[in-house]
Amino acid sequence: MQDSLSLDLVDTFAAIILLTDFMLVASGRMRSLTRLFAIQSLALGGLAAVVAFETKAENIYIIAVLSVALKAIVIPRFIDYTTEKIQVKKEVEPLIKIPGSLLICAALALLAYYVTEPIMDLGTAITGNCLAISFATVLIGLFLMVSRRKAITEAIGLLVVENGVFLAAIAMTYSMPMIVELGVFFDVFVGVVIMVVFAFRINRTFDSIDATSLRGLKD
Amino acid sequence: MISENLFLLLLAIAFLGAPIAALSNARPSLSTKVAFGVSSLSSLLGLVVAADVLLNGGFEVEIPLHSIFGTFSFSVDGLSAIFLLTISLVTFAVSLYSLGYVGHYKGKYPIGLMGFFFILFYASMVMVVTSSNAIMFLIMWETMSVCSYFLVIYESRERGTVGSGLFYLVMTHIGTAAITVGFILMYTQSGSFDFSSFGSAASGMSGLMRSSVFVLWLIGFGTKAGIIPLHIWLPMAHPAAPSNISALMSAVMVKTAIYMLVRCYFDFLGVQDPWWGVLVLAVGSISALLGVMYALIESDIKRMLAFSTVENMGIILIALGTAMLFQSYGLSEFAALALIAALMHVLSHALFKSLLFMGAGSVLYAAHTRNMEMLGGLAKRMPYTSLFFFIGVLSVAAIPPTAGFVSEWMIFQSMLQSFNFPDMVVKVIMPVSLGTLAITGAMAAATFLKAFGITFLARPRSEEAEQAKEVPRTMLVGMGTMAALCVLVGVLSFSILPVLDNAASPLIGASIADQLTNGLMINIDLPTGGRFSQVSPVFIAVLLAIIFPTVFLLAGRYGGRGKVVQADTWDCGTPLTSRTEYTGRGFSNPINRMFSWVYRPKREFQATARPSPYVKTDMRYTSTVVPVFERYMYDPVVAFVRWAAKKFSVIQTGSIQTYLGYIFVMLVLLLLAMRW
Repeated sequence: MQDSLSLDLVDTFAAIILLTDFMLVASGRMRSLTRLFAIQSLALGGLAAVVAFETKAENIYIIAVLSVALKAIVIPRFIDYTTEKIQVKKEVEPLIKIPGSLLICAALALLAYYVTEPIMDLGTAITGNCLAISFATVLIGLFLMVSRRKAITEAIGLLVVENGVFLAAIAMTYSMPMIVELGVFFDVFVGVVIMVVFAFRINRTFDSIDATSLRGLKD
Repeated sequence: MISENLFLLLLAIAFLGAPIAALSNARPSLSTKVAFGVSSLSSLLGLVVAADVLLNGGFEVEIPLHSIFGTFSFSVDGLSAIFLLTISLVTFAVSLYSLGYVGHYKGKYPIGLMGFFFILFYASMVMVVTSSNAIMFLIMWETMSVCSYFLVIYESRERGTVGSGLFYLVMTHIGTAAITVGFILMYTQSGSFDFSSFGSAASGMSGLMRSSVFVLWLIGFGTKAGIIPLHIWLPMAHPAAPSNISALMSAVMVKTAIYMLVRCYFDFLGVQDPWWGVLVLAVGSISALLGVMYALIESDIKRMLAFSTVENMGIILIALGTAMLFQSYGLSEFAALALIAALMHVLSHALFKSLLFMGAGSVLYAAHTRNMEMLGGLAKRMPYTSLFFFIGVLSVAAIPPTAGFVSEWMIFQSMLQSFNFPDMVVKVIMPVSLGTLAITGAMAAATFLKAFGITFLARPRSEEAEQAKEVPRTMLVGMGTMAALCVLVGVLSFSILPVLDNAASPLIGASIADQLTNGLMINIDLPTGGRFSQVSPVFIAVLLAIIFPTVFLLAGRYGGRGKVVQADTWDCGTPLTSRTEYTGRGFSNPINRMFSWVYRPKREFQATARPSPYVKTDMRYTSTVVPVFERYMYDPVVAFVRWAAKKFSVIQTGSIQTYLGYIFVMLVLLLLAMRW
């Protein structure tokens, strides 16, 4: 029988994740984007820790710790440092205005619940509710990438997508094999480093990190 | 046992030698020696292996490589051995030739790289004809295509070379796509990619399936073989490639396609429907006739030779089609005859075409031009080259006792057996094809008469031709080997044909070695008894060897010398220069006019008007031939692709967000579709 406290904790963390998704979309400042992402990663780490406690699988603890260390501390710091360094404007510069974005994201969340409904009915795992949230997180992260102008917001969008995938993995199968998780972490870290380096380059070439100015590169 | 190890040694030498050749690139003369030393050594090994297999039977070597596609192994049977022999023979001679030929690339292009691709090209061809698994075969086939592509674009700073190479690459991949689909269809039937499983699976296949596989393979391998209308990469790639490479590509690479056609049709699918044979026969006839017609009006030597390759592949396909037709009516003895004729032509074409390409390369080496109208008078300046080229010309024109004569004679004989067909339609089709082959032969003779006459005889038409000198000895050795083989294979054909029969009989199910030769004679016997015809190249050779000196002696002795008067030739008051010589275009113009509905020539004559109508100083005459296939078949396709690409380019906005948006929208749509 499942411990109701664990269940509550899992649900709380999942709710925080979904909430931060919407706050990410709603926030207009670069600085708060990284903060919110750090909070989301913390919640994800907490969720993983609860799952680890419940299933008594040590490797999930390791993953939880890694997740917090990397995604809640290292990467946000790194991005903040970069934004300071290249002195971008503090505004997010959305292509779609924030109220509209929020409406679209609400629709995406509904879509996520709609799509996962048949799977959730089958679910017996303690993390059952998380699947819809993970879908929502992936979709909203992707939406962030599509609708925001700056190269650094693209990076954060990608990281949010990755959080969603990570959540899905925990929700469905109590995490993937250790080696796969480690590989994913490494991948994300390298991905972020590359994106930030590119942001530097774009900045130097175009005097802004507006990724739309790459348009001139096509033939 | 021993030939297995030699075969592996061959591959080991090639794979070790290729990187060494590339690494020694900084020292051109060293890398020349390494590269072509390695290729001649491994091709010698290939000769030994092939000879051993032909005499003592085949073998199979398994590669200890576990894959989901079945067992990867090399298997060498009689048919493989024939092609291995041909490939190795030509590669050996071309390697010797290349030792001298690449000298003029020194300091201009990286010789080590050419050596690298040359060796790999040879090794990949060897593996193509010995693979016994479809996936392994495709890998080798692709390696062969890519190596030859890099060799074609070797002179990359010349104008048009890279474009020709790209065209070749595209065409060869269209072919590979068709081949791959054919193999996958076979896989769905047999459940395995092993060639050994294909044969047994074919009997259980539906008629439609068998026919689709047949057509796919004909398109796929036909592209490599250069059948019309898939031939157009040949006349582009061959002039662009270095001459030693053209020799290799034209003489043996296109033959790998013939190998696979024989293997696929006779070994895997089995020939049952008569229309297959008719189709191959028709394609072959068209290729042979149009190929030689385009060759005849060409004044670029290498383009002319490329068109001649199209023609000869057509002739081989005619023989193959005849064999398929006989086989589909169960007349397996005649089928064996036609298949042996096809294999013989494979061998003889490899010999004379590599010889001719090497000869063209020597002309290019000495006179720096491929344009016949700029050449002339080379017979005096390059006596050995012209002698060897002349032997090649004799062979391509099927003059006895050369190899080309024997193979074409055999093809004619096998087609003349068409009265044995029970079907009236086929009885009518065969003579038509026979007539095509006959006119092809005549026009081939005219083509090479022109090529030899304009290039080597008369007076030089340009400064370069005047300055030409004989080529280095290694090049002469390479050409001489092939020239000697052209004659020897023809003269000794009575001992070669039974070997070919040995290779063909397992595919056909009938051996005719006993009837085929009788001492020094080649016989064509009817199964009902009675002799159809016979010929003996040996006797012809001996007779020629006796008659020519005799006539010469007799004429010298009894004909009298006559009085020698030294005076100017009557020249109508204008001094005789090379400008008054007969030109190549002049030679081929009657044919051009006769077949103007094929060539669609465009002539233009311009003369600047002068006060007196009798003195015209500035005259210009241009005559161009419409490339029918390019204009009416390929250009519309290319135009359509470009048009479509332009229309689609609106989705390429250049903005990352848009591209991400595509992914996003697609994802949402897929999720919705899944939920429904």
